[in-house]
Amino acid sequence: MKLHEKILTHYLSCTSPVDKEGYLYKKKARNATYQRRWFVLKANLLFYQERPGDRHLLGVIVLEGCAVRRPESDGQFGFSLVFEGPGLKTYRFAAGDRHTQESWVKALLSASHCYLSLLVRDLGRQYEEAKQQQGSGESCHSSSVSALKSPTSFFLPVQGPTAEVREGRSLSASTVLQAPTKVVARKSPKLWHRRNAHVTPLNGPAPLYGEWPLVGFDPLEEFSKLHDYYGQEVKKARDEWLRSRQAQEERSDGDLINLG
Amino acid sequence: MRFNEKELVSLSRQPSEKAAELGMRGPKKGDVVKKRLVKLVVNFLFYFRIDEEEPIGALLLEQCRVEREDSQTFSIAFLDEAERKYLFECDSEEQCGEWVDAIIKASYEFMRKNLIFYRTEIHRLTGKDPLEQYGISDETRFQDCFTIKMTLFKENQPKTSEHLV
Repeated sequence: MKLHEKILTHYLSCTSPVDKEGYLYKKKARNATYQRRWFVLKANLLFYQERPGDRHLLGVIVLEGCAVRRPESDGQFGFSLVFEGPGLKTYRFAAGDRHTQESWVKALLSASHCYLSLLVRDLGRQYEEAKQQQGSGESCHSSSVSALKSPTSFFLPVQGPTAEVREGRSLSASTVLQAPTKVVARKSPKLWHRRNAHVTPLNGPAPLYGEWPLVGFDPLEEFSKLHDYYGQEVKKARDEWLRSRQAQEERSDGDLINLG
Repeated sequence: MRFNEKELVSLSRQPSEKAAELGMRGPKKGDVVKKRLVKLVVNFLFYFRIDEEEPIGALLLEQCRVEREDSQTFSIAFLDEAERKYLFECDSEEQCGEWVDAIIKASYEFMRKNLIFYRTEIHRLTGKDPLEQYGISDETRFQDCFTIKMTLFKENQPKTSEHLV
């Protein structure tokens, strides 16, 4: 199959933002040695070359249908991309330190088109609800805020002990959205009927419901299942990582978007 | 350039909402229209010979311009080469419109822009950042351009602990 490479390289070099870049060690398939490569993550594409600024790209990995996994033994700050399916590859990587490893794992977990698609759908719904609340003149405090925290019909049971991240667990890159373990969905009876009223926003992008070229599943159903199943792991990993960062740095962990 | 071909072929076999036999013509002079099974999966457009299992090729639908050429034909131009277009002939005006719409919306960059719009608006309307609950608020991917510059600036500051001895 021909992959039109010029289109990819053109996309890589255009002005839209790079999502992450840096050195990683990539394991060669044949002889299990690691080679240092410069990786550039943009959208759902992971490009690699020998050095930053090299004209010649060595390769690209399309990040759809793969899970991000940590290795069993955690000596090497390693992680892998496991493509699910008969005869499909696993790419193995090693980072230089824990911070780099966690940062790449996080970035790759949210890289896929499927993930972004789910996220946009969810935010689109939240946006509609928020606007309808504004429209009806209700203030955005207390009851409305708690309903917005859990926008649709997710019920998020608090499960299990908080242990370290289990090694070897698969964190599917395509469909993980993190669940807040402490929040239990509260459906405000006032909002129930409004949730079903899909109003076309006048000054925003056109509604995206039902128009996505989805890769074969019902997002609403998958969504709540995956929250339960994967969300906990991601939160634990992130909390661990944040704790280790906060130990090193003094800066606050506030949101980087200051829309206040 | 190496790429994960088997995995991409596997992706092309996923069910898709947008798959149809269209007349397809390449961008070079002398290319003729050929009947192809065209399939949209995530932000790739795969095209197959009719009744073949493996696609002939895959087009990444980013940084491209999709246009209506006439009532039943649309085109996709890549690489800022406005004159080098891939042409697609549909069976109806309606089908043509649906494809143009679907291809535009399949672009990762298009989705990212929408996400940033929703995030900003939800925050404006509710005072809350909707990405906070997913733990992805600080991912570069979901920032607007200004915030990306601020992030890079902050990351490049010397880490004070490493300089204290």
